Amino acid sequence: MNFETTIETGNISTLHVEGKILGNATDAFRKEMELQLQTGRDKLVVDLTSVPLIDSSALGAIVTTLKCCQQSGGKLVLLNPQKAVQEVLEVTQLATVIEIYDTEEAARAAFM
Amino acid sequence: MAETILVVDDDLDILELLKMNLEPEGYNVRTASDGESAVQSACTDPPDLILLDVMMPHKNGFQVIEELKDIEETKNVPVILVTARGQTEDKVRGLDTGADDYITKPFDLREVTARVEAVLGRTRPIKYINPLMRAMGEGFSEKGLEQLAGHLQAAAAIQKKLLPEQAPNIDGFNIATLLQSSTSVSGDFYDFIPLSETQIGIVLGDVKGSGIPAALLMVMIRTALRLLCHEEEAPALILKRINDLVVRDTEADLFATMIYGILDTTSSTFTYSNGGHCYPFHWTQNRDITVLKTGGMLIGAFEEATFTTGTCHLAPGDILAFYTDGITETGTGDSTTSEGSQSTSTSVKSDDEHEDAILTDMFYGGNRLAACLSKNASLSAAALCEAVVEDLARFSGSTQTHDDRALIVIKRDI
Repeated sequence: MNFETTIETGNISTLHVEGKILGNATDAFRKEMELQLQTGRDKLVVDLTSVPLIDSSALGAIVTTLKCCQQSGGKLVLLNPQKAVQEVLEVTQLATVIEIYDTEEAARAAFM
Repeated sequence: MAETILVVDDDLDILELLKMNLEPEGYNVRTASDGESAVQSACTDPPDLILLDVMMPHKNGFQVIEELKDIEETKNVPVILVTARGQTEDKVRGLDTGADDYITKPFDLREVTARVEAVLGRTRPIKYINPLMRAMGEGFSEKGLEQLAGHLQAAAAIQKKLLPEQAPNIDGFNIATLLQSSTSVSGDFYDFIPLSETQIGIVLGDVKGSGIPAALLMVMIRTALRLLCHEEEAPALILKRINDLVVRDTEADLFATMIYGILDTTSSTFTYSNGGHCYPFHWTQNRDITVLKTGGMLIGAFEEATFTTGTCHLAPGDILAFYTDGITETGTGDSTTSEGSQSTSTSVKSDDEHEDAILTDMFYGGNRLAACLSKNASLSAAALCEAVVEDLARFSGSTQTHDDRALIVIKRDI
């Protein structure tokens, strides 16, 4: 797994992840999101376009970050989850509490 | 993560030989050719084990050990001494100085690997607790460590006791369970709770997260469920109340998924709700598998979660199967947890089907489980569990498991 974070206008952070978020890789993913929060960036887009699979601890990291964002008035949205990830979001019904968008424009518009 | 071994010898051929021998075993190997650079290397980035030659110019092996034992970062790093044959005095002195084991030259490479693995096996549990010990300061002694290990064992024992030893005998139904734990304390759990002469509560769950916090959450959920199932009737309401309880009392990244339902033997129905857990399978006599999707959100993360109750009627010969994701996420060669840092170079978007095929090949998945159940539907519940275990072993090429696996099979008698 690799990722890069871009800060865009409106102080929105977009985390582009590439590869499976599993096992040890989850820690780096979690820490990156924590870092954004610690620097006051609570508007997060997690781009899952190139993520074929995530495990339950990655899911836990997303849930924790989402709740932290909400507490400070921000929000976390997901961008373009692929089939296997989409299935996990549906089974756990996280899809009902996390906003999911197909395009970057739509995801960014969610913060306007 | 691969463990790192620091190999120290002034003979470069031996260094190379040991490196070539240990690396294929999955260890990272660093080398140092004298005592001074060995101490430096160990201090800069403490390895998991040091393989240390005694006879070296300038600073010999004993001196290296003595120095390392005086340094906070390295004092607990295990050391295997390499001594010349017959130097009994060296061995005694080495063990006195604090070496964990010794090997005599000339050595058999297989012996080296075996001793390395044995010493690492002994010291591995301690290594993980070391940072904790440091954080807790001097007060956290070896005695404290023993206590902690004792508590862990006690926790595992309590947890095992909480799990029913065998599935209940119920008139008209045949029930079997399977639980394989990857660690001493497990995240997967199940329980059977007699509610009346004709009703039994059944739960299967998976606590996410690991270690003691996850085990505590499991115990909390199980206890809450045992109390609540006599107060409330609707499974959805019970899950809702457990969710409220867990949200209030735990950290956000600790959560669980679970299915709770009531099997009624007079009406042959299973009335259930699902808190974000893998959808159960219902195999019917006309050879269909229905996926039961009624339920709600995973347990313990959100206050506003809602849950729905569903009912499923079991005809004679019908099978219900509940499982945890440790089964469906079993990988080929069980590589599910070892790959994390690779990135895919293929374009996922333009090649969806290809990616699907890769995932299907990589993981056991729900479809294989459903197929295995269908194929063996004529067997007893216990034999069905066995069939799944065998199918998993065939698929992964291993009987070992990296994740907890649990399975409950309920079959109505014909």
